[in-house]
Amino acid sequence: MKCIKCRKYKKNGRNIGINIVIMALVLLIVLPMLNLLIWTVTERWAWPDLLPQVYSARAIEEIFGRRGEMLKLFGSSVVISASVSVLSVGVGMMTARALTCCKFRGRDALYFLSLLPFLVPATVFAMGIQITFLKWGLGNSVAGVILVHLICSLPYAVRLLMDGMRAVGTKLEEQAQVLGADPFRAFCTVTLPLLTPVILSALSMSYIVSFSQYFLTLLIGGGTVKTFTIVMVPYLQSDSRNIACVYSTAFLAVTLLVFGAFEWMIRCWSKGNVVKYDFG
Amino acid sequence: MKKRLLSLLLGGVLLLSLAACSNQAGSGAQETGAEESTENTAKDADVSAMSFDEMKEAAKGTEVTFYGWGGDEDLNKWLDDVFAPQMKEKYDITMNRVPMDIDQVLSQLAGEVQAEEEDGSIDMIWINGENFQSAKENGFLYGPFTEALPNFNDYVDAESEDVTMDFAYPIEGYEAPYGKAQFVLFHDSAVTPEAPKSAEELLEYCKTYKGKVTYPALPDFTGSAFVRNLIYEICGYEQFMDMEADKETVKEAIEPALAYMRSLNPYLWNEGKTFPDSSTTLDKMFADGEVVFNMSYAPYGVATGIANGTYTATTQSFQFEKGTLGNTNFMAVSKNSGNKAGALVAINEMISPEMQASRYEVLRTLPVVEYEKLDDAQKEAFDSVEIGEGVIPQDELLSKRLPEMPAELVPIIEEIWQEEVVGK
Repeated sequence: MKCIKCRKYKKNGRNIGINIVIMALVLLIVLPMLNLLIWTVTERWAWPDLLPQVYSARAIEEIFGRRGEMLKLFGSSVVISASVSVLSVGVGMMTARALTCCKFRGRDALYFLSLLPFLVPATVFAMGIQITFLKWGLGNSVAGVILVHLICSLPYAVRLLMDGMRAVGTKLEEQAQVLGADPFRAFCTVTLPLLTPVILSALSMSYIVSFSQYFLTLLIGGGTVKTFTIVMVPYLQSDSRNIACVYSTAFLAVTLLVFGAFEWMIRCWSKGNVVKYDFG
Repeated sequence: MKKRLLSLLLGGVLLLSLAACSNQAGSGAQETGAEESTENTAKDADVSAMSFDEMKEAAKGTEVTFYGWGGDEDLNKWLDDVFAPQMKEKYDITMNRVPMDIDQVLSQLAGEVQAEEEDGSIDMIWINGENFQSAKENGFLYGPFTEALPNFNDYVDAESEDVTMDFAYPIEGYEAPYGKAQFVLFHDSAVTPEAPKSAEELLEYCKTYKGKVTYPALPDFTGSAFVRNLIYEICGYEQFMDMEADKETVKEAIEPALAYMRSLNPYLWNEGKTFPDSSTTLDKMFADGEVVFNMSYAPYGVATGIANGTYTATTQSFQFEKGTLGNTNFMAVSKNSGNKAGALVAINEMISPEMQASRYEVLRTLPVVEYEKLDDAQKEAFDSVEIGEGVIPQDELLSKRLPEMPAELVPIIEEIWQEEVVGK
């Protein structure tokens, strides 16, 4: 009895503690976002006033006044980053499966190599690969940019998918094979649906790595491949804080939208799969 | 066993296909590279032998890329909404503005040149100072080209030092002027009624407003200009024009100025132990009221700031009595540009009285065309511009214009400043 009470108390106490931590974390995320939103319509906000002294819609008008250009920019950025994330999950899935489920010589070396892009600084890597890509005819092209983003986002995808793959294991899949499913079908109907949460994280992670890539896009794209980040970063470095804030807000909004779309697509797809699985 | 075989096989196929791909692409690029290089030298010869009308003809329907710093929204808008439509309509040339810092432009150019890319992606570059010097010395630029431009011959004073020298480095026709800049200081006259017009007054000013004055840490472009301006104040400017680029010589010459800057330190923001990392940080600190004193290389920037509401209406520009640094920024054409004719037509249009007047009106950039060479209607276009509040009249500004130091001295001074002034 005593013990239960004490446990309850402890649990409550921990809950309050956890709640405070969660609140603090939420504030840490929300407050800067709020600041960001206020600055989108602020021209001057000098110390010591609590509220901005001069408001204006200049920044918003200037950016959304060029709607056509912005739409094109968003379109190309989203297409590039979405292709990168899909490719990255595809390649990552195969790599992760090979690394977790197959035994072969040089597996550890391959694992280390797959994480190499984490270790090499992007600028060093960019300078070298720029010349190589130019020689291969991939410089200043969308294909080149996608490829180079892929290299950067693969380690994330591989790591995430490996953890998922290890947790799911191959036992259930083998069971399906015992029941007569061919290996491909067993993988598609058993393992893949179980992996959806990890796939979603891997997709999102690869997307964000690609979408926020500045220096690599700049060098490999040569300025002819324009992404949202390429246009945004000069403003972040300049003194027009309101314009930088409008760009950042748009950046956030688009990223969240794409994440939502990923989640929706995965959910639709896994639903279909579950039904098939029931029939099977 | 089967699996292992399969993985080996797959790996092998992958490797092979990769090798095949790279081989094919590589040799392909080499072949086309070789073809293009002969074609390109032919084209080069063509461009330098072409009359301007022939260039216009050759550039019709093409695209010209213009690489330069992209952090100025007003300038970007002007290039996209005024200059690009003009080029399209007048010459059927599509302008493609690429926002990129000059360091990255040069590293990309270096990469392309190293990869022997002949149809380079960079046509026109916004450049000046030591970047121009290094680009020219490395053979990254095409030229000389200015004499081929009718507007350069008709409206620009080709003899003036602003056009023949860039940071005391001879231009020799490899750059055409884009706009003029001059260093100005500014303060909010409602917050600090006094404006320091000399080095001594600045010291007094810093004592009065202790902790509220600072300047950007070198090698920031603006901070570096401010320090050079202080050096001119204290040591005069003439001796630097032909000074040898040797650290000891320079240090000896600027020693009084270094001592002066060290005497400023105790009264500066954070007691001179640290400085804001860039001029844009200082701009933000000034707008936020954290400091009371600011500086800029855009002489009419205050007017735009007041019009936007970023600065208060009582903000006022001023200069040192002995004058402030002035320089010109330029446009160059890259050596491996695939569309030199187009770039030259665009540069020619940029220095036309019409475009220069538009830049003066919209962006408040000091024009590069010579006022005396204009006809009455063109003069009228410049005279009718309302510059706005808080600025120094153009004739007064230009009457106190000091030439820039030789480009090689600039990094040396930056190094000495870091060793001898910060935190001392």
